[in-house]
Amino acid sequence: MTDMTTTTAMAPAGSRALRLFLRNPNAVAGMLILATVLFAAIFADLLAPGDPLTMVAQPFLWPGQNPAYPLGTDMMGRDVLAGIIHGSRVSLAVGLAATATSLLIGTLVGAITGYYGGWIDRVGMNLVEIVQTPPNFLLLVVIVAIWQPNLPTVAIGIGAVSWPTLARLVRGEFRAIRGKEFVTAAHSLGFSDARIIFREVLPNALPPVVVTSSVLVATAILMESALSFLGLSDPNRVSWGSMIGEGREMLRTAWYLAAVPGLCIFSTVLAFNLIGDGLNDAMNPRLAGRE
Amino acid sequence: MTKISRRTFNLLAGTSALAMTLPHIAKAEEPVVGGSVTMAVADEPPSLVSLTTTSASTVILSPKITEGLLTFDFDLTPKPELATEWEVSEDGLTYTFKLREGVKFHDGTPLTSADVAFSLMNLKKVHPRGQSTFQSLEKVDTPDDLTAVLTLSQPAPYLLTAFSAAEAPIVPRHAYEGFEDNPVASPNGNAPIGTGPFRFVEWARGSYILMERNPDYWDAPKPYVDELITQFVGDASVRSIGLESGEIDLAGWSPVPLTDMERIKADPNLQVETRGNEYQNNGFYRIEFNLENEYFKDVRVRQAFAHMIQPQQILDIVFMGYGDLARGPVTPSLKKIYDPETPVLEHDPDRAAALLDEAGYPADADGKRFDVTIDARPGVASQIAQYMRNVLAPLGVAVTVRNEDQSAYVRRVYTDRDFAFNAQGSSQLFDPTVGTQRFYWSQNFRPGVPYSNAAAYQNPEVDALLEAAAVENDPAKRKEQLDAFQHVIANDVPAIGLIATHQITIANVNLVNFCTGALGISGNFADLYLKDG
Repeated sequence: MTDMTTTTAMAPAGSRALRLFLRNPNAVAGMLILATVLFAAIFADLLAPGDPLTMVAQPFLWPGQNPAYPLGTDMMGRDVLAGIIHGSRVSLAVGLAATATSLLIGTLVGAITGYYGGWIDRVGMNLVEIVQTPPNFLLLVVIVAIWQPNLPTVAIGIGAVSWPTLARLVRGEFRAIRGKEFVTAAHSLGFSDARIIFREVLPNALPPVVVTSSVLVATAILMESALSFLGLSDPNRVSWGSMIGEGREMLRTAWYLAAVPGLCIFSTVLAFNLIGDGLNDAMNPRLAGRE
Repeated sequence: MTKISRRTFNLLAGTSALAMTLPHIAKAEEPVVGGSVTMAVADEPPSLVSLTTTSASTVILSPKITEGLLTFDFDLTPKPELATEWEVSEDGLTYTFKLREGVKFHDGTPLTSADVAFSLMNLKKVHPRGQSTFQSLEKVDTPDDLTAVLTLSQPAPYLLTAFSAAEAPIVPRHAYEGFEDNPVASPNGNAPIGTGPFRFVEWARGSYILMERNPDYWDAPKPYVDELITQFVGDASVRSIGLESGEIDLAGWSPVPLTDMERIKADPNLQVETRGNEYQNNGFYRIEFNLENEYFKDVRVRQAFAHMIQPQQILDIVFMGYGDLARGPVTPSLKKIYDPETPVLEHDPDRAAALLDEAGYPADADGKRFDVTIDARPGVASQIAQYMRNVLAPLGVAVTVRNEDQSAYVRRVYTDRDFAFNAQGSSQLFDPTVGTQRFYWSQNFRPGVPYSNAAAYQNPEVDALLEAAAVENDPAKRKEQLDAFQHVIANDVPAIGLIATHQITIANVNLVNFCTGALGISGNFADLYLKDG
C-alpha cells in the first residue's frame, strides 16, 4: 500500500520535473553540449578511424594549416582532432565509471549508517572522516601510483576518493526520512530492513543524489585530466588531460596543443554543472512554486 | 665585492699566467670581480658532496666547494687542479700525485695527502660507481704531506680520467671523524667544507643553496663572483621563462623544452653552449631488450625491430635535432673510442618482415604477429616508446607503452625483471669500461642493481673483449678491442643504439667562462665572471 502511494505520488512529480528541466535554457544548453560529446565518443571510430596515437603528419602543424588536419598536429605529428574525438571516450568513461563507483560505495555507506544510527553510524562516519582527511587528489595520486595507471584503476581510484560526499548526503536524507510515517508503517507491516532501505527510503532520498552525481561526473573528468596532466594515465589511450600535459611545455610556441583539449574539458564540465543545476531546480520541491 | 679583491685583481690581471688560463671567449677582456650569479637546477640534491651520490644536482654543485685532483679539457686531456704533477708507472700499476702547496680547506686546515687517501678509499666504498671505477685500487700511501701514491692490483687505463671533482671529490678527512663507517651520515654532506673557490653559506630546503666567494682560494685572485645562488626549479617551462626574464643567469643539462630553443637562440640576452658534456653528461638513448623474454631471446626478432627504426626521425621529432645518431653501444662524443665504421642495421621493412617470418612469427590474416609491452619512464624515453609503437605497427607487432615512475621502473626492469623491452637514457660517462661495460658484461647481470646488464646479455666474446680492454695499457691495442666490441654488439643487438644527446647549457650574455672544460657546468666556476660585475 505504501508502495503504491509513493509511486503514484512520484509519477506526476517526475513528469513535472522533466517539464521544468526542459524549460530551463541552461539545462538544455548543457544537454546539447553533452550530446555532442556523447556523439563523438560513440562514433569515434567512424569520425577518426585508426589509432589516434599514430604519427600521421609533420609535427607542429597549426590548426587550419593543412585541411586534412583541421586542428593541427602535436609535437610527434599526431592528429589533434583525432585525439580530441577519442579523448572524449576516456573522459566520459572515466567520469561515468568513477561516479558509478562512488555512488555504489557512498549510497551503501550513507544508507546503512543513516538508517541504523547508533554504533554503526559512528563507525561509518569515522570511516568517512578517515577517507576525507587526506586531500582527495593526493590520495588519488597514491592509489594510482601504487597500481598501474590505466583506465579502470583511474576510474576506481577517483570513485574511491570521492564517495564520502555522497555518503554524508545520503545519510542525512536517511536520517530525515527514517522517522517519517510511511517508514513506521512499513515497519509495522513487517517489511525487512533491506526492503525498507532500498524500496521505501532510497527512492525518496534520490533527488539530491542525482543532482550531486552530475556534479561528481564533472569532478571526476577534472580529476582524470589532472592525473593525465601529471603523466599518471594510460599512455596507450589519448585523453584530454594527457594532451594538455604534453602540450603544456609548448604553451608559448604552440598554445593550441593545450588550449583545444582545455576547451573540451571546460565545456564538458560546464555541461554537467548546468545539467546538475537544472536537475536541482526541477527536483527541489521547495523551488516548485517559483515556476 | 671588496676593495682588497679589486686591488689584488688589478695587481695580477696583467700577468701572463692569468691570461693563459682564460679560454677563448674572454681573450680580449679582463675579468670583473663581484656580482651574484643565479643558477637553476632541476632537483634538490640529496647531498652537496659527490662522494656518496651521483645525483645530477650534486654533481653540478659539489665541484664548486669540493675540488678534485685533476680537471679536464674538452677532449678529456687532464689538467692540474689540486694535483700539480702526476705520473703513471710503465706497468700502469702505480699512480703518483704531487699535491699543490698551500691549499687550505674553508676551515683553515691545510690539505694533505691523508685527505686524498681518505677520499679515494671511501669513494671505492660508498660512491655508487666507485666500487667499479676504483675496484683495482688497493691502497694509497702517503710518503709525505704532499705526495699520494696509489697502488693498483691491475692496470686501469681509464682511471686517470676519474680524478675530477665531480667523480672523485677530495674531502677533508677531519670532517668525517666519527662517521668513518658511514660517511653518508656525516654532516659534511649538508654543509660541506672543501678547498674550492666557493664556500657553503646556506641551504634553504626546498628553495635554494647559497655559496659565497672563498677569499682565501689558492688560485687568487679567482674566483671573481661574490655569490652563487642555486635555485631548485623542477619545471622546464619555468626555467625557460626564468632565463628569458633574467631571473636565472645559468642552467645546464638541456634545461628548457627543446621547442623553446628557437626563441632562446634568438634572444639577444642569452647565449647557448652545447659543449661541456664530454665528461659525464653524454646522455645516450637506447632500446634495450630482455634476452630472457620469449620473443627477444631470438636475435632475428631484435634485428627485425632494428630494421624498422629510422633514428633520424627520432632525432628530429623527439630531440629537435639536438644530438647525434649513435647506432652502436658507444656514443660518438667519446671521440677517441667511438668507431665510425660500426655496422648499422638500415631501415628495411621487408627484411624485418622476412626475419620475423624466419623466427616463427608469421603474420596472420589480419597482418598481426604478436603483442609486446615496452617500458619507459615518462618524458623523452616515453616519446621514443611511442615512436616504437608507431613504427612496429606496420610490421604486425602491437606495442603497448607502459609508463612508470623512476622507482617502479627500476624495480620492474632490474629487480623483478618483469619486462620485455624498454626505451631508456643513460650516461656513457668518460670511458666505456666505466660507462658502457655495465650494460653488456655477463658478470654485471646482477638483478636488483639499477642500470646494470638488464638485457641479461651473455656473450663470451664480448666478455673477453671488455675484460681485456679494462686492463689494456696500450691505447692502440685497447682501441682495437673496443672496436671489435662495438661491431659484435651492432650485429647481436642486445640493445639498439639510437641517439647521443647534445646537452645544452643556457646562460645570460653577461656571463663569461661558465663552461671551460669537459665538466661543463660541473666545473668549479673559479673563472666565471659577470661582464658588468
